Amino acid sequence: MGTINLIWRNSVRNKIRFALTLLSVAIAFFLYTAYSGINTALTASVTEANQLRLNSSHKVSLTRGLPVSYKQKMRSIEGVTSVSYASWFGGYVKDETQQISVFAVDHESYFQMHPEYALDAEQLTRWQKQQTGILVGQKLADNFGWKVGDKVPISTSIWMNRDGHFTWFFTVSAIFQGNSPSVNDNQAFFHHQYFDEARAFGRYEANWFIPQIDKTANAAKVSLDIDAFFENAVEPTRTSTEQVFKKEQTQQFADMAMILRLAVIAVFFTLLLIVCNTMMQVIRERRRETAIMKTSGFSSSYLIILLFLESLLLFGSGAFLGGLVGFIALDQLQYLFSDFLPGISLSPNLFIEMALMIALGAIISSVFPAITLAASSITSDLGTQS
Amino acid sequence: MQKNHYIQLDGVNKSFSKGRESVDILKSFNLSINQGEFVAIMGPSGLGKSTLLHLIGGLDEPCDGTIKIGDVTLSGLSESERTKWRAHHVGFVFQAHHLIPVLTAQKNVELPLILTKLSAKDRQKHGLAALELVDMKERCKHYPSELSGGQEQRVAIARAIVSDPNLLLCDEPTGNLDRKTADDILRLLAELNQQFNKTVIMVTHDPKAAEYATRVIQLEQYLSQNSDNRMADSGYN
Repeated sequence: MGTINLIWRNSVRNKIRFALTLLSVAIAFFLYTAYSGINTALTASVTEANQLRLNSSHKVSLTRGLPVSYKQKMRSIEGVTSVSYASWFGGYVKDETQQISVFAVDHESYFQMHPEYALDAEQLTRWQKQQTGILVGQKLADNFGWKVGDKVPISTSIWMNRDGHFTWFFTVSAIFQGNSPSVNDNQAFFHHQYFDEARAFGRYEANWFIPQIDKTANAAKVSLDIDAFFENAVEPTRTSTEQVFKKEQTQQFADMAMILRLAVIAVFFTLLLIVCNTMMQVIRERRRETAIMKTSGFSSSYLIILLFLESLLLFGSGAFLGGLVGFIALDQLQYLFSDFLPGISLSPNLFIEMALMIALGAIISSVFPAITLAASSITSDLGTQS
Repeated sequence: MQKNHYIQLDGVNKSFSKGRESVDILKSFNLSINQGEFVAIMGPSGLGKSTLLHLIGGLDEPCDGTIKIGDVTLSGLSESERTKWRAHHVGFVFQAHHLIPVLTAQKNVELPLILTKLSAKDRQKHGLAALELVDMKERCKHYPSELSGGQEQRVAIARAIVSDPNLLLCDEPTGNLDRKTADDILRLLAELNQQFNKTVIMVTHDPKAAEYATRVIQLEQYLSQNSDNRMADSGYN
């Protein structure tokens, strides 16, 4: 009969209460794991944004195009070293329920400015030379079973081509992967030139430009210079750093994450009250047993340690259970949100954070019961005082 | 020359606060008990029998006076020191057995041994030996809910003696039992006293139970006859 056995036996003494408390701990840790995974994606997409890239779109709306001729004009602004551009194509395969992310990009410059996509020189050259070629992310290729050389039809509900059809045909030139988990490989890129030549309207316009600057310190100045340059043009611009742009794009998710964070804090606070109350009940129920243990030579500090370990067991097993379910849920979320929020993953610090929360939870929930236990009198607890 | 007693209480005062009033339970109380005695303490409720037992067992502190058990003066010890002392020197048996319901008889008996440096195997051996002494070895795997009142009390006695203490303090150990079972338990206590030279102090209301003791102290009489704090025991066997 060891201490561990005693802790375990005491913990599961009231099985229903143990199971319900364990469930509430598990739910709290599940929420924390889910929140942590989403937060990792949100912060990664913003913090991993290239500090040297700016984003310039129409002052009125991102959906309004800017002339592709702006590329040369922007290039002439001091501090800008190169410029690329891109447009949203949308896209779906076979029917509209199978939506995919497809972009038309300047084939000459786009990937030179976006090293986060893992492409070797041979793959890039092959794609650049193939006007109807499309670069497909590994996940997207896996989903549809696409291979290099396949001719793939991709439809769009926005862009009619000059033949009057909404289905465009591309040849898979290469398949790329991301250099980090936050890089979305569930998307595809094709030549903006092909896009301009083949679409029925909006030709030679791009949704956004990506000016690259010489040093990060110049970001604010160059942004202002670009917007000033086009201030009186028919299509004025609004320029910011890629980091700010991504922050704006993910703001909805960030708001959601904030709500989730507040919910998680509230849940944990409630949880502490629940577990603390449970431990107080435990102490009250075992008053006589505790007294008899004290008569047998168990000190109050020893009994408090037993109580703390019991609480630790509750938090630890709940965290394991909740964390495991959270991990499985994140895997599903990763797939569902891969287009909008790539990089949903467990932070390496999560385990340390959870360990600290388990310890802290166990300590806080044991404080009041420990005070009660230390202050209790053996004689009155035995109910035999004359 | 004064004889060295195993238990010596000198000028012990104990009072409790009840609301605003202070109630004196023991006043300048003296008592001596020798090693190997089986003492029964009798008297009406509220006189301080259990309090006396708690003071001797170090569960409570006197307001004044000294309590010496063997070479140790309890009144000079801190609470944690008294706790350690209890672990090695005293075994308690109460009217209610207070066994832990989720542990088997054997595990309940082994419980005090967690505090020792004994290995799990040795703890098991000691636990079984104690259960054998109280004739409960066959029931070692049973949970308290599967035992009768008498059997539970036997297990509680085994738990009290498992760490081989010199002193057994029993507070109404047969109060919840029928006559036959009570006699079995009392015989067991007498055996422990006679065969293993354990000093047994038993608080009881039951005159039949007192017959098993080597000395009976009628506390009411003892307190009134000895207002000058001189000990006067009434022999009973």
